[in-house]
Amino acid sequence: MKAIIITICLFSISLFSFSQGDFNKQIATAKTSYAAGKLEDAHFALQQALQELDLIIGKEVLKIMPLKLDSLNVNIREDRVNANSGFIGTTIHRSYGTKGKASVEIISNSPMISSLNAFLNMPMLGGMMRDEKTKVVKVQGYKSRLEKQNDNADGKPSYDLQIPFNGALMTFKTSGMDEDEVLRLVNTFPLQDIAKLIQ
Amino acid sequence: MKRMKVPILLLALLAFQPAKAQFLKKLKDKAKEAVNKTITPGSADKSADNSSTEQNQGNSGTNNSGGRPTNRGGGGLKNTTPPDVNQQITDASTSYSTAKYSDARYSIQQALVGVEIQLGREILKSLPSPVVGLQKDTTQDKVTSTQSGWNNLTIQRVYSDLRDKQLTVTIGNNQLYSGMVNMYFNNAYGIQADANNQNVKQVKVKGNKAIIEYSDSKGYTLIVSLGQSAMIVWECINFADENEVMNAANSFDVEGIKKSLGEQ
Repeated sequence: MKAIIITICLFSISLFSFSQGDFNKQIATAKTSYAAGKLEDAHFALQQALQELDLIIGKEVLKIMPLKLDSLNVNIREDRVNANSGFIGTTIHRSYGTKGKASVEIISNSPMISSLNAFLNMPMLGGMMRDEKTKVVKVQGYKSRLEKQNDNADGKPSYDLQIPFNGALMTFKTSGMDEDEVLRLVNTFPLQDIAKLIQ
Repeated sequence: MKRMKVPILLLALLAFQPAKAQFLKKLKDKAKEAVNKTITPGSADKSADNSSTEQNQGNSGTNNSGGRPTNRGGGGLKNTTPPDVNQQITDASTSYSTAKYSDARYSIQQALVGVEIQLGREILKSLPSPVVGLQKDTTQDKVTSTQSGWNNLTIQRVYSDLRDKQLTVTIGNNQLYSGMVNMYFNNAYGIQADANNQNVKQVKVKGNKAIIEYSDSKGYTLIVSLGQSAMIVWECINFADENEVMNAANSFDVEGIKKSLGEQ
C-alpha cells in the first residue's frame, strides 16, 4: 500500500514539474543544442517549446472567456486545450450549461478556413452555398456564418456560428436558442482579445 | 510678316514631332538591345551562384496580348538569409517572460525555420556529385520549410547530363508519395503477388525498405522510407534499367541523412 502511495506521489510530482517551467527548459536545451551544432536536437526542443506555448495560449484564451452566458454556467471540468504540432494547431474547447446548451471551439490553422472565407467574401460562391439555413452575420465587426442545424430533442433549433480569425476558426454551438439569443450571447466574448492571443 | 511667321513655326514644329518620336523609338530599341545583351550572358552565372532557393522567384514574363507590357527581366528575388536562430530564441524568452505569448510563438516559429533551412543546406552539401555520371545542377537546389516539423521540410537536388537524362532526389516528407509508400509497405503481399505486370516492387537500399516503380511516362521512381515520417525519393528519367537506379541510390549516404533528420 505504501509503495502505491509513494508511486502516486512521485507520478503527480513529475506531472507537476513537467507542466511548470517546461518552456524555459526546452528553450535552454534548444540553445545549447544549437550552439553545439546538434540541429536536430535543437529542432525537437523548439517544437516542444512551441507546443508548450500553444497550451499556455489556450489557457490564456480560456481565462478571458466569460464564466457565465446569461444563466448558463461554465463547465470548467470540460475545458480542454490540445496542442497538436502538425497540420492543425491548438484546439480550445469550453462548454456552458447542460445537455450541450452552448459550447465554443477554437481551432488554430483550421482546414475549414479557406472555404469559409470564400463563402464570406465571394458573393457568387456565397450565393451558391447559401440556403435558407445559412446566413452571413457580423459579430463585433467579424464576418461570420450562422448555420441552422437540425432541431434538438425538444424540437428547438440548434445553431452553429463560425467566426474566422485569419487562420483560426471559432465555432459557437448552441442548442434550443433562437437566432437573436445566439448573437446576443456570442457578443459577450471578447473576440478581439481572443484573436490577438491566438494569431 | 508676323502672320507668315506663325504658320511657318507651326509647320516646323509638326515636322519635328514625328522625327522626334522616331528618334526616341530608335533610342529605346538600342537601349533594349543593350540591356538584353548584358542580361543574357550574365544570368547563367548569376543563377549558378544561387546555390539554394528558399522562395518562389516571381520573375516570369507576361505576354502583351492584352496590351500589357512584356517583362524583359529583372533582378529576381534575392535569397533572404534564414532567421537568426539565437536571436529568435532570445526574443522568444523575452516575450515569454513578459507574457507576450503570441510574440514568443512567432519567434519560436522563426527559429524553427532557421534551423530547418540550415539543416537542409547541410544535407545538400553532404550529397554526392557526380552520381552515375550525372552532374549536380545547383541552380535547382531547394530547401523549403513550412515550420511544422519534418512533415513540411523538403530538400531537393537535381542531377543531369544536360541532355535528356535526369535524376531528382527529394528528401523530407513528400506528400505526393506518402500515401503510396504507406499503401505498399502495409500491403506487401498485394504488390508482390501481381507478378504478371510488375511495375512496382519492394527493394532495399543500404538495408532500408524501399519501393521501386516504373512507368513509361515518368521513368523510375525509387522511394526509401526513413524512420517515422521522412523519406528519400529518387526520380530517374531515361535511366537504362533498375540496376542503374539502384547504383545511383547507393551512392547516397542514407544513414547520414537519416541521422541528420533525427530519424531512427
